[in-house]
Amino acid sequence: MQLLKQTRQYQSDLAGYCRTGILQHIPGIHTSNVVHYRKLVMNVVDDILQNAYPLTYDLLSETEWDSLVADFFSEHSCKSPQVWYMPKELMEYVIDTDHALLKQYPLLCNLLQFEWMETAMFMMQDIPVVHTRNGDLLFSKLVLNPEHRLMALDYPVHRKNPSAIKPEDQQPYYLAAHRDEEGQIIFTELSPALVRVIEHLQERAASIQELYQLIEQDFGIQLAEADHLAIIHFLQQAYREGLIKGFSPA
Amino acid sequence: MVGIGYRKDFSEEFLNSDILSPAFIEVAPENWLGVGGYWKKQFHQALERYPLFTHGLSLSIGSPDELDFQFLANVKAFLKETGAVLYSEHLSYAKCDNAHLYDLLPIPFTEDAVKHVAERIRKVQDFLEQKIAIEIVSYYTPVAPELTEINFINTILQEADCELLLDVNNVYVNAFNHRYHAKQFIEQLDLNRVRYIHMAGHEQVSDSLIIDTHGEAIIDPVYDLFEHTLELLGRDVPVLLERDFNIPEMEALQAEISRLSAIKENVLKRTAHAIA
Repeated sequence: MQLLKQTRQYQSDLAGYCRTGILQHIPGIHTSNVVHYRKLVMNVVDDILQNAYPLTYDLLSETEWDSLVADFFSEHSCKSPQVWYMPKELMEYVIDTDHALLKQYPLLCNLLQFEWMETAMFMMQDIPVVHTRNGDLLFSKLVLNPEHRLMALDYPVHRKNPSAIKPEDQQPYYLAAHRDEEGQIIFTELSPALVRVIEHLQERAASIQELYQLIEQDFGIQLAEADHLAIIHFLQQAYREGLIKGFSPA
Repeated sequence: MVGIGYRKDFSEEFLNSDILSPAFIEVAPENWLGVGGYWKKQFHQALERYPLFTHGLSLSIGSPDELDFQFLANVKAFLKETGAVLYSEHLSYAKCDNAHLYDLLPIPFTEDAVKHVAERIRKVQDFLEQKIAIEIVSYYTPVAPELTEINFINTILQEADCELLLDVNNVYVNAFNHRYHAKQFIEQLDLNRVRYIHMAGHEQVSDSLIIDTHGEAIIDPVYDLFEHTLELLGRDVPVLLERDFNIPEMEALQAEISRLSAIKENVLKRTAHAIA
């Protein structure tokens, strides 16, 4: 037996009320109690979003935040059955709809992307990679931690309190985010050349000497000794912090 | 056996001390599917020590929308991977018009809804190749009711041929909110189908309304109803203590588990003597 159109409509009306606050007539409903459903639903949504976006929450006024959450939940149909993915859908909603708040806060997209990246990386499935810790950073082929992502930003939301960021701060910023052995997320700011280093290591394990050559080809330059030292310094730090997982087994 | 809802909020303290000693743990698959890193390690530590019961949130068995078989396939894989003892879900809907609401809304008590929900439960059971336990949810308003709540539930259980997750606190909450007798309600249920019991606290927000918060300790009248339920059942059923918010010290949770275990043990002894 199919669900009757009327029953379906009542269910849709109740769900719609929870999302929008607009209550249609539903027979038998206790109007004084039904408000609790909207409160409960919106409390869950607000709580999850505040936890995922603490910097955004601090940046916006209370009215702006409440309005953003209300717009999002009433206009957007949340697709994921897993509630912890909902913040990703908020970020996509703001970007896709070119939300009005972006005019007042041009950095908002970057801030949401930055904050969601931390959650997404923290929660992401484990990705095994074949590697060994026995090797020499200067001579062995380096294996990148596959639990990483590269990001390009227009505002330094990783460096400064969002409320202190000014229009003149706008310029390209590049970040690597990776998950270390303890599961913590570490962001590393990168130069364009170091982005290419990571991109080459994404393709395959490579030694520092090979990386020098690849960078020289990419940029059509001859690396100076200072450039070599800068790359070595970066890779040493990346190894210590777990962005470089180890070395390719022989 | 009395278990505890395993929460990330107290995971570390739970795993690093022996204050809390449940017989099993329960999780919502939705909160752990596809999760790696720190939480996966913690979860696996818990799985090494305790049997797992699962209690879904997002299947939306009462939804007018199509069942999400991709999600169900993920749940099935999760149940297999974790060796879960059972899978339970709510007699409610959490998705409508292709939008998840992340909360449990009451299904209209209508005959067409009974058929619709029973058919969906059967489909889920076929897909998972196992029976599932369906939980009676607490509700704060009926929606276009044609049937009584007890008729609605019993008919679904019968037509779906599924098991019942009896949340004793929910029955207490519903009896208070909708002015009926909780013990009589439980007596009218098809108790042969009870596979699992939930116990929790709630919050009374007015003279006429209780909200099922899982954020307070269980109150004495709910313990009494629990005892009455066990007497009616006359058999051992796994019991879960749910505490989702306002998490107290581990000692307080263990005290609740101990009290539930003691009630259960006493009732089972009395029942055994009566039979002997």
